[in-house]
Amino acid sequence: MTDAPSSPATSEILPVRLRGVSVRYDHRVALHEVDLTVSPGEFVVLAGPNGSGKTTLLRVILGFLPVAEGVAELFGSRLDDLAVRERARLVAWVPQDEAVRDDPSVAEYVRYGRYPYRGRFETESAEDLRQVRGALEELDLADRAHDGLLSLSGGERQRAVLARALAQATPLLLLDEPTSHLDIGHQLDILERVRLLSRRRGTAVLAALHDLNLAARFADRVVILSRGRKYDDGPPRDVLSEELLARVWGVSADLRRDPRSGVPYLLPHHRLVEPAAVRSAPGFGPVHVVGGGGAAAPILRWLVDRGYRATTGALHLLDTDAETAQLLGLPMAVELPFAPLGEEVRAAHRVLLGHAQAIVVAPFAIGPSNLANLTDLEPYAGQVPVYLFNPTPIESRDFASGEGRRGWEKLRSGGAQELGSWAALEAALHGLEAGRRLPSRPSPPAATPT
Amino acid sequence: MTASAAAREPAPVAIRAPRRWGWRAGLGLGLAAVGLVLLSPLVGSVAIPPQTVAQIVLHQLSGGALAQQPCAGSSASPTLCSAYVEIVWNERLPVLLLALLAGSALGISGAALQGVFRNPLADPYLLGLSSGGALGAAFLYVFQVGETEASIALPILAFGGSLATGIAILVASRGKAGSVETLLLTGVALASFLSASLSIVLLYNPIGSLQVSFWLLGGVGGATWNRDGIAFGGILIASTLLVLHGRELNVMQLGNDVAQSIGVPASAVRQRLILLASFATAMAVAFTGVIGFVGLVAPHIVRRTVSSDYRVVLPLSAVAGGMFLLAANDLAVSVVPNTQLPVGIFTSFAGAPFFLTLLYRHRRSTMTGET
Amino acid sequence: MSLNPGAVPTARSISLAWFAVALLVAAGAAIAGTAAFYELKPLKASGGPTTPMNTSHGPGNVSVTDDVGRTVKVPVNASRVAVLSPSIMDPIFRLGLRPHVVAVDCYSAAFGGLTADYSPDQVALWNLSSSMCVQVGPTLDVEQLLVKSPQLVLASTIISVADVEEISTTYGIPVLILQPPTLSGILVDASILGTIFNATSAASQLNAELSWSLGNATTVQQNLTNRGTNFPTVMVTYSPVPAGSPSPGYYSFGPGTFGTSLIELASATSISANATLPYPELSGAQVLAAQPTFIVYGTGFGLALTDYAQGPDWSSFSAVTSGHAFGLNSNLLTEPDPTMILLGLPALLSLFHPGVPV
Repeated sequence: MTDAPSSPATSEILPVRLRGVSVRYDHRVALHEVDLTVSPGEFVVLAGPNGSGKTTLLRVILGFLPVAEGVAELFGSRLDDLAVRERARLVAWVPQDEAVRDDPSVAEYVRYGRYPYRGRFETESAEDLRQVRGALEELDLADRAHDGLLSLSGGERQRAVLARALAQATPLLLLDEPTSHLDIGHQLDILERVRLLSRRRGTAVLAALHDLNLAARFADRVVILSRGRKYDDGPPRDVLSEELLARVWGVSADLRRDPRSGVPYLLPHHRLVEPAAVRSAPGFGPVHVVGGGGAAAPILRWLVDRGYRATTGALHLLDTDAETAQLLGLPMAVELPFAPLGEEVRAAHRVLLGHAQAIVVAPFAIGPSNLANLTDLEPYAGQVPVYLFNPTPIESRDFASGEGRRGWEKLRSGGAQELGSWAALEAALHGLEAGRRLPSRPSPPAATPT
Repeated sequence: MTASAAAREPAPVAIRAPRRWGWRAGLGLGLAAVGLVLLSPLVGSVAIPPQTVAQIVLHQLSGGALAQQPCAGSSASPTLCSAYVEIVWNERLPVLLLALLAGSALGISGAALQGVFRNPLADPYLLGLSSGGALGAAFLYVFQVGETEASIALPILAFGGSLATGIAILVASRGKAGSVETLLLTGVALASFLSASLSIVLLYNPIGSLQVSFWLLGGVGGATWNRDGIAFGGILIASTLLVLHGRELNVMQLGNDVAQSIGVPASAVRQRLILLASFATAMAVAFTGVIGFVGLVAPHIVRRTVSSDYRVVLPLSAVAGGMFLLAANDLAVSVVPNTQLPVGIFTSFAGAPFFLTLLYRHRRSTMTGET
Repeated sequence: MSLNPGAVPTARSISLAWFAVALLVAAGAAIAGTAAFYELKPLKASGGPTTPMNTSHGPGNVSVTDDVGRTVKVPVNASRVAVLSPSIMDPIFRLGLRPHVVAVDCYSAAFGGLTADYSPDQVALWNLSSSMCVQVGPTLDVEQLLVKSPQLVLASTIISVADVEEISTTYGIPVLILQPPTLSGILVDASILGTIFNATSAASQLNAELSWSLGNATTVQQNLTNRGTNFPTVMVTYSPVPAGSPSPGYYSFGPGTFGTSLIELASATSISANATLPYPELSGAQVLAAQPTFIVYGTGFGLALTDYAQGPDWSSFSAVTSGHAFGLNSNLLTEPDPTMILLGLPALLSLFHPGVPV
């Protein structure tokens, strides 16, 4: 429960003060006993992998999510005690991606930021106009003030969003990945401006950022979140380390220091878990696995573990196999959940099949929606080794009223080889790899190392 | 570096802002409204000379002090003249006023609902608020309410129906299921449920069915000064309160979260606006029956020609809606001689193609992805 | 830059604006409330300061209770009357009151007196023109009605409640709803018309004829029952369901309709007497199954045998093959008016029980 190291005075009313805050979505714990403070004028960056709770934390401070346990305070007031309007005078928000549907002019849009200061029947005050003009000038939008918001470029639009938040004249500014849609030049531009504002106006800034190098460069303090818990909290030079990246992100990286500023920066190498390793490995393949319903997942894992390059299809989105392939970073052909395999998906599947050095047909349940997976294989049966992995008899998983079994038989008569056990499958693939009986083919683009 | 970055900046998303004529269009709308209001008393199945119409209005408005012989200058007999007075003063003018009022109520409700749901297809008719009112009114015939009580029971029952539908939509909007799409689909589902219920009521109540089904097609023919008074009062209250929410609606176009971060209590405002829109719709439905598409067309005309600023859209949608319904009614009265066609036919004729165009545009814009 | 969250803007303009809004809302409530009050208790038709058009009501007023239970004060022997239903036009005509009629529904105006119903000299008297027509179906053209300056409106329940309310309240023209609930109600309506038009003797004579026809049918029925004769099953259809509709068939009379009452009074059993709907659509299969001995199909109004013959299974019906299918003008069967009793009932009797004295 200590204040941040960079906090100038502990007696001051802190813009943000969270003590033991937990948040749940239904039953899942999104944040677990998080302590966090932000001091006036401080630029704090929230970092962490996807799903670590960065956005959740910001949404708690904005009052969008109820706090299950713990105390959340904004400028000394408990969050629950603040009316929406009061809160809007304390904290402004720049979301990752603000939906703009109608097209107010830039000036009109920036004026929205003055909403919490104006009574329903009040006209715009001199202060309102001053703030709006100030925000526009500060973000170099004065000459575009009367253009439609939709006519702005991505960078300009994000500046307009920032100007809108600025016009709110709040002592605290929250940013959620404010630069994720921008190129490097505009990323730097936006963050420079935010830091400048923070310095000039004494605004406390709490920003969720993906880019750790940007974080290191701009942040006074970095707060690392991992799986809903606070992992570390401190100045970038203390927090950012090779170990942090390995532990929290699972990435191997080198930590260097900018020779001029001494700011640390990270040079990531590769992911420590399988997919990156597979991609960089020159392994045999691709081996294409036809599956569905989780039947292909163990085979895909096995292939990836052994350093094969693997592809899969045609799967349904959200299917266990599809999830696994996604996790492993494998190229695949996917259809929407429960839909019969469409022509586009089948075409994509055929592309993968065409690249395959070998095809493994997993023991998946065959229904009307994925029957095409079998029939589409027929042309390849004589071309490349096709292994019908069949630990369970085909009859027991044919839900396409005999069509599945017929397709299976047709493949077998077309030259496919039926394998009844893991050992047989392993042996077949090893033999194939060792023999390199087939001339190598161009591999599918997604499987090439980046 | 910044320069080269700017050069690589992808072209802005190609959504052209609609061409607008701003205040000129607003002025044009106002002038057209005045012209329409002046012309409408001349339209009807009985041909009355314009001069006589003008004299009658003047005579009545001045309490008999001006134009003491309303039919002077025409060859009308005293009996015919008093019939003319009845027609102009007690038939055409109340109808004109009711068309304006109901159109305004539907227009402003449509504008508010489109703002709340951030969907250009929201409309009291499509969301089922009108059908709810119709079902409420149909109960009049189920309960065999007497004829004299009917005139006051009808609006009350219609109001109950609309309000119940509004509340149902609101309940659906609570909690996590409250996405815009869910709400809209809830409304659409409600609307078809309500019309199915109506069909049942009508099927088993054949005597009343003729009356209800006529009433369901919509029309302003039942207007009287008294009913206009009730409608005017109710719609004045609802519209006044709705118009006050222009700024909130503007901000809410940015999404509920952003709106909340700017200080708009989005869900509270949403509830308030849906209830107010239900109330305004009910005041229209109670006296005119179900008239479709006014609430869809009016806000769009305003948005496309004048401004998309809800502080402007709300009041001008009321004007545009009133005009739209009045024009449709003038057509309904005059297209087939001796017959007043239900005005809903004309609003649907104009509105349905409009709806399809919007649907097509909307789908295209969501498919190309607007950010 | 203010760090103070409580910086509330100056509030001078707030109270004034709220006051304006409150005023508007209160005004709205007041207007609505007042209007609702007058709507509930209509004081006087707001005809304005012009001379009201309905003050000269001739010799005086009489209170009549109409068929939906409303007690209406109507002028005695009104000279300008709007008759908005063929079923009212019929007794009006039979009572010799045609000269009082200034406006009619377009249906009455269009069919211009049916030769089937009336003698030629009566038909010549009919003389209703389309310029008198003010109502199509349930749609009333209020302006056209007003311009005819009627003192009294006679309507069936097809008129909408709103229109009745408007005519009687707004324009102060009494509206009498004449919709006989039963066959004997037709006699009641004739008496009402006799009373309000000072035509009691004509009404008595008409009612005597009506009573004789009804009494005769009852007597025939009594005799048949006494003799133990079975009543024939019949189908009476007034229109085929139009060809090309998803379920073609024959519109018929169901429970509670005048058609069914008339069939029963003519000593026959309708095959659709126990249908669920008042005007059911019978399919070909239903008719085949019920095997009616007689089929009566309504003609006139553009319908002829050929229209029915295109209906499902028509040529397979036993009544058709055995020559027991007869055409009868629909006007004798569908409108609850004296014609139904005077002409429709004897016609059915003579079809169903040929040879029995009528």
